[in-house]
Amino acid sequence: MSDPTPFSPAARPPGPVPPSDPEAGPETGRVPDSESEPETEVGGVSTERLTDYLDSGREPYDPLIEDDPASLAQLVALQRLRALSADLVESDAAAAPAPDPSWIAGVMDRVRTESRTGRDIPLTSPDARSTLHITEGAVRSLVREAGDSVPGVVVVSCGLAGDVGVDGAPIRVDVALSVVYGADLRRVADLAREAVAEALSRHTELVVEALDVTVRDVHLGAREAGL
Amino acid sequence: MSTDLSDASDGTLASRAAEGDERAFEVLLRRHLGLMTAYATRLTSSRADASDAVQEASITIWRELPGLQTPDAVRGWMMTIVSRKSFDLIRRRRPASDVDDLEVPSTDGAHDDPERRAQSSDAMVALREALGRLPAGQRRVWTMREVGGESYADIAEKTGSTVTAVRGQLARARESLTREMEAWR
Repeated sequence: MSDPTPFSPAARPPGPVPPSDPEAGPETGRVPDSESEPETEVGGVSTERLTDYLDSGREPYDPLIEDDPASLAQLVALQRLRALSADLVESDAAAAPAPDPSWIAGVMDRVRTESRTGRDIPLTSPDARSTLHITEGAVRSLVREAGDSVPGVVVVSCGLAGDVGVDGAPIRVDVALSVVYGADLRRVADLAREAVAEALSRHTELVVEALDVTVRDVHLGAREAGL
Repeated sequence: MSTDLSDASDGTLASRAAEGDERAFEVLLRRHLGLMTAYATRLTSSRADASDAVQEASITIWRELPGLQTPDAVRGWMMTIVSRKSFDLIRRRRPASDVDDLEVPSTDGAHDDPERRAQSSDAMVALREALGRLPAGQRRVWTMREVGGESYADIAEKTGSTVTAVRGQLARARESLTREMEAWR
């Protein structure tokens, strides 16, 4: 994948030969104290540069690092440190007490006080003296529920475009789905479209000019694996 | 009638939550709560403070989800909000002082938890101890980078520093840690 490099270690600009190799232990004592001087080096390449190289997935191939035993050793050490660091937090998390149910309930209570209802969508009122509305949030919820009812489908998002606040204005509905791996995408998308169309016509008076269904994601599902 | 959302990706849950699905938000929150709490605990060095910081962060996450451009990256984004709230809290607790003198327990309850002790490999123990010996500022910056996956710019902003200084601190932290971890290579 990485193309053969025109460089070789010998072609490296002559610089001060690193006095230590990273196996030399903690005696190197070469870490500068200055805040403004981050150019500490282990082997011939700075730790910063080694880290940036790791961050970029060791691409593009850097012969200055890959062909230098000291740099390579430090690169591998940094990589191990990183892997271990990820485990460290996982083990922190695993050892932490399970979240208090009342803590979660408290957060969710606050979340519900800030619910996202969106625009008001008119419904015909049985009584001419009053008005009746359904919120955009409620319509989205209906769409999610209808789509989710199809096995193997999780609704990702639902967009309502158009002047939903005006009675009878044509609107477009965009539904994005995540479909379980291995499902027949076309069939599942069609089923979801039918379910959503049915729910909208039963519970709202929206004039749906277009109902677009997009499969945006595929997920693995333990339960639906039999599909 | 409620579909099981536990198979849904983070991105799916984030999109749904952004559109007002409280249930999706709860699944997302529960999925990452352990990590969020561990992160806040490492930053604030107190379980009680961590719980408060994560609570504040959770509400903010809910509020700001509609503006999130990349729902698939929601986890990292959540972690940056956790650290923001952790730093807010640290500053409120210790108004005039440098956050650096807060004492962070290096082993963080490891001795009183036999299960964790059993799970921890020797290398992990060595890492915890090496972390404990780092200067607090380096440890915090390292935590934000390695645990939170935060950008240099975000870390600099939260610590009132510069990207150059953050990179320097990180390099020194990594050098100390790799040197101390030498035996575990």
